[in-house]
Amino acid sequence: MFIRSKAHPFGRQLNTVTVRILLTGLYLLYPFGCILQLVADGSAGGVTLSITGLAAVVAAVVIFTVLAGSSLQRQTQAPENLLDERERDERNRAAFQSHSVFSGVVLIGVLYMMLTTDMANNDKLHLWRPTDGTHWNAIFGGLILLSFTLPGAIIAFGKAPAEAD
Amino acid sequence: MIHNRLSVFRAERGLSRKDIAGSVGVNPQTIGYLERGDYAPSVELALKLAALFGVPVEQLFSLKPFAPLAHSLRDQES
Repeated sequence: MFIRSKAHPFGRQLNTVTVRILLTGLYLLYPFGCILQLVADGSAGGVTLSITGLAAVVAAVVIFTVLAGSSLQRQTQAPENLLDERERDERNRAAFQSHSVFSGVVLIGVLYMMLTTDMANNDKLHLWRPTDGTHWNAIFGGLILLSFTLPGAIIAFGKAPAEAD
Repeated sequence: MIHNRLSVFRAERGLSRKDIAGSVGVNPQTIGYLERGDYAPSVELALKLAALFGVPVEQLFSLKPFAPLAHSLRDQES
């Protein structure tokens, strides 16, 4: 997903360090916010935890919208004819790597679900499992954020910061 | 790794990365990547750059490191 604006038709130029900070913030704040929301259910001080968690999720979404309008995101989403050969090379490599990473993340999730279901059925161990729509929405929301930003993250963390002219 | 003298030629002509990028149809950042040796260009791009500076492609790109300019000048004088 690339959000094109009239002011920045080719995306906002963010330096590599800024993009890395934003991506790290996104990948930490979203799960942190979701976990706080989960912990807040039925605990003392739940309202505070819930509000903090919600704030973290909102901050993650704001970061995502900033990244979605960046030139890096344009590189990962633009048609081939709008990119030069280096950008296409980087994008293709990042797409391949992000596919592997994303598949790995999903596989770990599926294995965890298999394990927790099996353990719970046998009354051996009760690990947390998503039980209602809110839990699943949080998981799918995280996967959507990850899938949209992962190719850009691989490019941003794989290259030395570009020098100014 | 492919070595190049892109920054030397660019400085000599007083061109910016943006100028070169516009002439050969790439992103200005790509010229930066080329100059730092972080990206090996396609044959097409290497030929376009050589044509832009009016030199044979092997004067701009090489598989071996280029000798420093001072050494080349000293060799010419002796």
